[in-house]
Amino acid sequence: MDGPADSAAPPMLQLTNLSKTFDSGHGRLVALERIGIEIGCGEFVTVVGPSGCGKSTLFNILAGLAEPDTGAKILYNGEPRMAPELLGKVAFMPQRDLLLPWRRVVDNAILPLQVEGIPRAEALKRAQPLFVEFGLSGFERHYPQQLSGGMRQRVALMRTFLFERDLTLLDEPFGALDALTRSLMQRWLLDIWQRHQRTILFITHDVDEAIFLGDRVLVMTARPGRIKLVLDVPLARPRPPEMLTSPEFIALKRQVLAAIEEESIKSFQQVAEG
Amino acid sequence: MRTGLGSQLAALIGLLVLWEVGVRVFGVAPHNMPTASAVFRDMAGNMDLIGRGVVRTLSETIIGFVIGATIGFVFGSAFAVSRTLERLLFPLFIVSQAIPVIAFGALVVMWLGNDIWSKVAIAAYLTAFPVTVNTCRGMQAVDPQRVALLRSFGAGPWALFWRLRVPYALPSIAAALKLGISLGLIGAIVGEWFGDTVGLGIMLLQAMYNENLPRMWALILVCGAIGILLYAAFEAIERRWIWWKQEI
Repeated sequence: MDGPADSAAPPMLQLTNLSKTFDSGHGRLVALERIGIEIGCGEFVTVVGPSGCGKSTLFNILAGLAEPDTGAKILYNGEPRMAPELLGKVAFMPQRDLLLPWRRVVDNAILPLQVEGIPRAEALKRAQPLFVEFGLSGFERHYPQQLSGGMRQRVALMRTFLFERDLTLLDEPFGALDALTRSLMQRWLLDIWQRHQRTILFITHDVDEAIFLGDRVLVMTARPGRIKLVLDVPLARPRPPEMLTSPEFIALKRQVLAAIEEESIKSFQQVAEG
Repeated sequence: MRTGLGSQLAALIGLLVLWEVGVRVFGVAPHNMPTASAVFRDMAGNMDLIGRGVVRTLSETIIGFVIGATIGFVFGSAFAVSRTLERLLFPLFIVSQAIPVIAFGALVVMWLGNDIWSKVAIAAYLTAFPVTVNTCRGMQAVDPQRVALLRSFGAGPWALFWRLRVPYALPSIAAALKLGISLGLIGAIVGEWFGDTVGLGIMLLQAMYNENLPRMWALILVCGAIGILLYAAFEAIERRWIWWKQEI
């Protein structure tokens, strides 16, 4: 994290000294403290941390929905940005699918395009080729209520991918799925990512998922949320499912778990003392 | 629905038979309760007159409903979007509803003249209130996470309103419209009592003065039928087009 990467291309996203403090009735809560992150173009970066570590606050700031404390610097594509300027610049997928029940699958998927002002016919043309890839062909005219959880999540992902932005934020997109569906979706997401060449920042609390998906894993601490560990994942791609039990994978997992463990004990003690 | 219709019709016919037989068997005096057949004879013999009344009262109801629903939607939306406006004007809406419409019906007739528009105004007045309340509450219930999502797509207030708030509030608006159309009919009928020459409301008054019991019952049945048909029409529209629920 110290010093910029010495590659020629500037990082797609560079955060320095990013903090976020909430003032509540009984005192201040430091959700994020001096976060520094650099994400290169086309990178898949995962963020893992205990619940309440401010991951979602970080995403809200990057999506332009919340403002960081003064002193934070956000460079997006090399240009300094205030948080509200990021509205409409970043493709953001929250934890819940948040599909609109009155819109068919296809109309849910093209919602961000319509919001941008693209006519429906044109938006549909762009969406058409993606249905097969997202495992939704034949379901274009269904309503969200008629779909399984996994399919709804794929509609939400398709909506996010159709909103073509340089940076894609995914907040625990597979958190609510069963283990089997989840591992299928992980491999499928890697596939999509490699074909579409997107830059992804992905939140999870599943260590396996973080290592399996990421080029880099950021481990966060809870209250205040800080970046405790930045771990490069040198595993080759494409990554087969067997990789989850390989010695290299286990070694990486041990490092991540050790960092998280230390944090959990610390926060446990804080609670006990408080 | 389809199978229910047959049995509902049978129940209706049964009720009419019971009415006819009951009045005859117990020898109820005609000035207390006419027989069903007398009522239908009167109806059949005065189709023209009653038809003109129906057209007039229905026009008042529907025009008043459309105006009232529009006013309700506009004010409800404004209250949902602006807290200040809500705090400023919403109490006035509630106070205005606390005054029974009859209390200033005569005033409306004096202002707007003794023609269709004074009845339209009363029907609109009664429709507007439930539509305002439900539009406002429906839009305020919008899931903030969905608002955040649309904002992250770059949606401004206008896109948020039409793509999210309006469809989100539609189920609750539809419920108000069903109530509003029934209230609109009441408004139209009551409005005619302040004086007019055509319309079901004034015909009811005339039947009362003339102690024409069969006519009175004929008009009551016609009013009931209109009320049921209007309600059923909105119920059908709701089922077909506004079937989703507000989910949390």
